[in-house]
Amino acid sequence: MSEKNMSTKNNNNNNSSKKKTKKKMTLSADESVKLFNLLRAADQRPFLEIVSDFESSFPALSFSQFVVSFSLSTLLQDKKMLNPAQRLVGFAILHQAYNNKSSANSNNPFLPLFITGACNEEAERYERAFILQLLSSDSSPSPNSKEQFLKQSASHYIKSFDPSLSLHVFPKREQLEQQYGVKAHVEPFNCPFKDASLLNALPDPDLPHCSDPNSSEFDLQHGAKPKLGSGDRDETLIGLLSSLSLEGFGPPWARPIPPQLPVQDGELVWLNPGDNHELLWDYSMCVDTSRGTVVRDLIAKALKGPLAPSQQEQVLLELANDPKLVYHCGLTPRKLPELVENNPLIAVEVLTKLINSPEIADYFTVLVNMDMSLHSMEVVNRLTTAVELPSEFIRMYITNCISSCENIKDKYMQNRLVRLVCVFLQSLIRNNIINVKDLFIEVQAFCIEFSRIREAAALFRLLKSLE
Amino acid sequence: MEARDSSSSSSAAANREGPSAAEDEAVLSVAAALAKDAALHFQSGKFAECVDVLNQLLLKKPDDPKVLHNIAITEYFRDGCSDPKRLLDVLNNVKKQSEEIARASGEQVEAGGSLASKTVSGSKSSTLAHPLSSASSANIMYMDEFDTCVATVNIAVIWFHLHEYVKALSVLEPLYQNIGPIDETTALHICLLLLDAGLACHDAPKSADVLIYLEKAFGVSCTSQSDNGSSVAQQPANLVGKSSSLPSSSLATDASNTELVSNNASEKGLSRTLSEETLDYDPVLFDIDVTRPTGLSLSNDILRNSVDRSISSVDLKLKLHLYRVRFLLLTRNLKQAKREVKHAMNIARGRDSPMALLLKSQLEYARGNHRKAIKLLMASSNRTDTGILSMFHNNLGCIYYQLGKYHTSSVFFSKALNNCSSLRKDKPLKLSTFSQDNSLLIVYNCGMQYLACGKPFLAARCFQKAGLIFYNRPLLWLRLAECCLMALETGILKSNLAQDRSEIRISVIGKGKWRQLVFEDGILRNGNVDLERGDLVLGSDGEPKLSLPLARQCLHNALFLLNGSELSYLKSIFPSNSSVDENDTTDIASSKNLNHKNLQNIDLKASTVAVSLGQINANGDAKEQKGGTTQELVQNSLTSYEDTCKRENMLIKQALLANLAYIELELGNPIKAHLNARALCELPECSRVYLFLGHIFAAEALCLLNREKEAIEHLSIYLSEGNVELPFSQEDCERGQVDRTGDCEELNGGQASAKNSYSQDVEGIVFLKPEEAHAALYVNFASLYAMQGEFELAHQFVSQALSLTPNSPEANLTAVYINLMHGKPQEALAKLKQCSRIRFLSSGLTSNISS
Repeated sequence: MSEKNMSTKNNNNNNSSKKKTKKKMTLSADESVKLFNLLRAADQRPFLEIVSDFESSFPALSFSQFVVSFSLSTLLQDKKMLNPAQRLVGFAILHQAYNNKSSANSNNPFLPLFITGACNEEAERYERAFILQLLSSDSSPSPNSKEQFLKQSASHYIKSFDPSLSLHVFPKREQLEQQYGVKAHVEPFNCPFKDASLLNALPDPDLPHCSDPNSSEFDLQHGAKPKLGSGDRDETLIGLLSSLSLEGFGPPWARPIPPQLPVQDGELVWLNPGDNHELLWDYSMCVDTSRGTVVRDLIAKALKGPLAPSQQEQVLLELANDPKLVYHCGLTPRKLPELVENNPLIAVEVLTKLINSPEIADYFTVLVNMDMSLHSMEVVNRLTTAVELPSEFIRMYITNCISSCENIKDKYMQNRLVRLVCVFLQSLIRNNIINVKDLFIEVQAFCIEFSRIREAAALFRLLKSLE
Repeated sequence: MEARDSSSSSSAAANREGPSAAEDEAVLSVAAALAKDAALHFQSGKFAECVDVLNQLLLKKPDDPKVLHNIAITEYFRDGCSDPKRLLDVLNNVKKQSEEIARASGEQVEAGGSLASKTVSGSKSSTLAHPLSSASSANIMYMDEFDTCVATVNIAVIWFHLHEYVKALSVLEPLYQNIGPIDETTALHICLLLLDAGLACHDAPKSADVLIYLEKAFGVSCTSQSDNGSSVAQQPANLVGKSSSLPSSSLATDASNTELVSNNASEKGLSRTLSEETLDYDPVLFDIDVTRPTGLSLSNDILRNSVDRSISSVDLKLKLHLYRVRFLLLTRNLKQAKREVKHAMNIARGRDSPMALLLKSQLEYARGNHRKAIKLLMASSNRTDTGILSMFHNNLGCIYYQLGKYHTSSVFFSKALNNCSSLRKDKPLKLSTFSQDNSLLIVYNCGMQYLACGKPFLAARCFQKAGLIFYNRPLLWLRLAECCLMALETGILKSNLAQDRSEIRISVIGKGKWRQLVFEDGILRNGNVDLERGDLVLGSDGEPKLSLPLARQCLHNALFLLNGSELSYLKSIFPSNSSVDENDTTDIASSKNLNHKNLQNIDLKASTVAVSLGQINANGDAKEQKGGTTQELVQNSLTSYEDTCKRENMLIKQALLANLAYIELELGNPIKAHLNARALCELPECSRVYLFLGHIFAAEALCLLNREKEAIEHLSIYLSEGNVELPFSQEDCERGQVDRTGDCEELNGGQASAKNSYSQDVEGIVFLKPEEAHAALYVNFASLYAMQGEFELAHQFVSQALSLTPNSPEANLTAVYINLMHGKPQEALAKLKQCSRIRFLSSGLTSNISS
C-alpha cells in the first residue's frame, strides 16, 4: 500500500524535475497544439508573421525547436497529411528558422528536404516554385525584396501563382545539390541503430474494402453522420505531432535487465549475544609501581658482573612469578651483550620470556652480532632447546661462529674457540635443531680446515655418519 | 621509592632528601588507600560515593590521568550511561594527556640519565631530573604510571558497543601488537574484544590470529575431540605437577651450570668443562627439555591466579570454544563447527548458555536444515530479555527468508525491530543497551526482504539506514543499485508508461483513412532515461530517490570497495601463510603478490607470530598434536574461507559489472557500457549467465559505437553452424551462490543428506529462462542483419526467435521492423495485429485543438 503511494509520489517528483533536464524526443502536448495552430493559420496570415510566431514559441537553436522542425519535416514528407497552404507554411518555417544572417542555406539541416521538394516532378508547381524562391532568397542582393513574397499569406500565394510564367524554370537535382553543397553536408557520425531507424508512425488506413483511400469520400463531413472509414485529418495531425519521435522506430534489441544477485551465504545478519564487554576500572591507579625494583636493580648489577648464586636464583624466581616483569626489568637489546657475558642463564631466561614480544627480533640481531664467546654460545644453545628460534637466525649465528674462528689471529684463542664451536655444533645436530644439509658444505669445510683439533675431527665424523 | 634507585648518586640524593621522600611515601600510602576505597565502591556499584572518593584522590594527585580516567568511567555509570560519545571524548583526552606526560618525563629521563653518567653531584641533578616528585624515579623504566592501556581498551569498548567495529579494531590493534607487557586480565579483555569485533566485521584473518594467540598465551587449548570432560579434570592436576617441578629443575640447572658461569675460567677449567661438556651437554639439555614446558604451565598458573578473579578457566574454555564455533561458522567450515558446538555443549552441560544454543541453531541454519534451526531457536529458554528476544526474532526472520516465506520473515523482522526500540526506552540504560540495539543490522535483513517482495523504495530506505554500519560492504551498494533497477524495471522510475516490457504498446492516432499506428517512444529501450542531477541519494523529503545515476554511483562504490578488499585480503592473508613454511612463502607470495617483501617487513608482529606458530608445529609430537590441531584447523578454515571469499567476490563483481553495463546502456553511454561489458566477459570463471549478459551488452554498445563487426563477434560466440546455441542452462541459473558445501565439506567426505537439503532451498538467479535468453540472441542477430540490409538472414533469425517465444514482444516487434525495413508495410501490419501481447492505446490529444 505505502509502496504504491510512494511510487506515485515519486512519479510526480520525477515529472516535475524531468522537464528541466530530460531531452525529450517528442513534442509535448502544448507544443504540438502551438505548432498545429500555426499551421492552421496558413490560410489567413502572412508567412512572415507565422514564422516570427514560430520563432518566439520555439527559441532559436533550442532542442525543442529542432524536435518541432523534425516533426514538421516528417509531416511534409507525407503528401496528404498537410493541405497545400500548410505545406508552404511548413517549408517557410523550416527555411526561415534555420537560415539566419549568420548561417546560409548549406547549414540548414533540412536542405535535402528542400531540394527533394524542389525536384519532385509530382509535386504542385507552385510548391516547387516556392521552395526555389526560398532557396534563392538568401543570395538575392536586396534584403528587402527577398522577403517580399513572404509578406503574403500562403493561400494568397497559391491563388496568385501563375503557372504559365516562364520565370519558373526548374533546375535539375544535381544542379541544386552542387549549388548548395549538399554532398558536403553529411552527418559526421551515426550509429546503425539510428541509421536503420524508421519513422515511428505507420499509416493504417481503416477503410472498407476496395475503396480508394485518396478520394475525399471519407473526409469527415460537418454535420453528417460519420461513416465507416471516415476520419478527421486535423485530429490525426495533432496526434502525430505529439507522437513523432526524433529517434523513430529503430531495430529492436533485446537488452535483458540483469538479475538480482541471490542472497549470499552469511549476507543476512544472524544475531548472537556477544560478550558483554564492560568498561574497565583502571586498577593501576595510585598503585605502588615499585614492583620489580629489586629485579631491576639485580639486572642492572648483572650487566656489570656475575651475580651471586642466591641473587641469580632470586631473579629467576621473580621473573617466574610475574610473567610481565620481564618487560619492566630494564633490559634493552643494547644491554644484552653485557648480560650474556656476565649472566648467561639470566639472559636465557629473559629471552625465553620475551620470545613473543616484537622486540625479540632486535635482541636476536644483537645476539648474532656480538663477539663469539663461550657464554654467547651457551645462551644460543640453551635458547635452541627452550624455544623455536628462527632458522635464519641460527644459520647466521653459525656462519658468524665459523668466520670468527677463521679470523682470529691468536692461535691459542683460535683453538679454544674452534673447540667451543665444534661442541656447540654437535649439540645442535644431536638435538635436531639444525638441518645438517643446510650447512653441510660450510661446516665440512670448517672441520677440514681445523682437522688438527680433536673436536673438529669428531664433528666431521658425526657429519659423515649422518650422510 | 627514590631510595631504591640503583645509581649511587641518586641514592645519595635520596639520603639527603630523606624527609621529602618520606612525605612522598605518606602521600602515596594515603592515595593508595583512597584508591582501594574507590575501587571497592566501584565494584559494589556505589558510583556516587566512588566519585567522592576519587575527587579526594584528585586533590592529592592533581591531574593524574588514571584518576581522571576512573572518574570519567564512574561518572558515566553514575549518570546512567546516557552519553557514550561524551565519555569517548573524555577518555580520548585522558589518553592524550597521559601520553604527553609520558613523553615529557621520557625526555627528562634522558636528561637525567646523561647527567648521571657524568656523575655530577647527585642531589641537584636528581631533583632537576625528577621534578614530578610523585612520579618518582622508580617509574622511569616502569611506565605504568602513564600507561594508557586501560583507557584505550575502554575507548575500544565504547566503539564496540556503538557498533563501530572497525574503529574498535583499529584502536585495539596497537595494544594487541604489543600485548606482552600488559597484565593478563586486561590482555584477555583485549583479546576477547578483538575477537568479537573481528568476527563482527567478518575479519577472519584477524580473528584467527587472536584465536591462536589466545590458546597459546592462555594455555586454554580446545583440542582433544574425544574426551573433553576428562581433559578438564586433568588440567589442574597437570598444572600442579608441572609447577612443582619448576623449582627443583631450575635449581638443578643452576647447580650444573655454576661452573660455566664461574668468573675466571682458567684454561684448565675451560678444557675440563669442554671435555666434560661433550658428555654433559646432553644431560643438561635433557634437564632443560624437562623444564621447558614449565614456562607454559607457569603462565597457566599465573593466568589462573590473575584471571580467576573474573572468569573461571572452564568458563574461559567454554568461551573460547564458542569463539571457535563462531570463527568456523564465519569461515563456513561447517563440519568442524558442528564438532566444536558439540564440545561446547558438553562443557556447558548444566550451565545456561543461550549462546551455545543460538550458535547451534545458526549452524543448522547455515547447513540448510531450517526446520532444525527453528526447533533449536524455540528451545532457547531465555526469552524475557528484550535484547535476546530481538535476536531470536531476527534469526527466525532469517530462517523464514531462506525458506522463501518472505511475509512471515517480515513479521519477525519487524518484531525484532520493535524489541530493539523498546530496548532503547528501557531504563536504566547500560552501555550494552547500545550494542544490544541491533536495529541497524536487522534493518539490512528487512531491506533484503523488501527487495525479495519487490518493494524497491522500502528496501532502499532500509539499506540506507543499514549503510550507517555496512557502508564498507560492497554487497550493500549492490543491493541499493538493485533497488534502483527494480524501480526501473517495474516502471516506477519512468514517468511514461512505456516501460512495461511484457507487451508492445501502440498508439492509434486518428480515425478512418487517416489512422496511423505509432510505436511508442521508449519501446526501443535505447532511449535516454531521465538524467537527474543534484543530490543523488536523497530527495528533498529525505526519502531515497532511486534513479539510474544513483545506481551507477552505488555500483562504482561497490566496485571500489571490492577491489580494495581484494588487496587488503591479500595483505592480511599473507602473514598467516608465512607461518606454514618460511621457505615456501617467497614462492607463494611472489606468484601471488609482488609486494610481498614490503608486507614481510611491515608486520613485525606477524613474523613473530609466524615464528611462534612454526614452533608449535616443530616441537615434538605431543605438542604438535596439541597445538597443531588448532593451528591447522584455523589455517585450513582460513584458506578455504579465502577461497570462498574470492569466489563470492568474483560473483559480486560479475553482478556489479553486468549492472553497470546495463545502466550505462540505459543512460546512453555506449563507451562506458562497452568497457564494463568487456571487463565482465574477461573475468576469469565468469558464470555463463553473466557471460551471456556481458556479450549481449557489449554487442549492443558496439553497435551504438558503429562497430557492428565487433558486435557480431560478440554474438557469434553462441553461433555454431548457423544455429545459435543455448547461452546457459538451468543449472547455471541455480548456481547463483558460491557453493555452500565448499571445500571443507568435500575434504571431509561431504554430506550427501545435507547437500540434498541445500539444493531444495537454494534460491537461484531469477532471470530469463534459458530459451528466452536463446530467443533474445536470435532477436539481436536478426536486428543486426536487418541493420546491414541482410533481410533474408534477418527473417530466418527472427522466425527462430518467434518459434522459441511466440509471445515475446521483442521478437514480434523485430519481425514487424524487418518487414517495414524490407518495404513490406502490409505484412508488418498483419504481424502487428496477430501479436497477442499488444495493446493499442488511443492518443489522448485529440480534443481541445482550438485553444
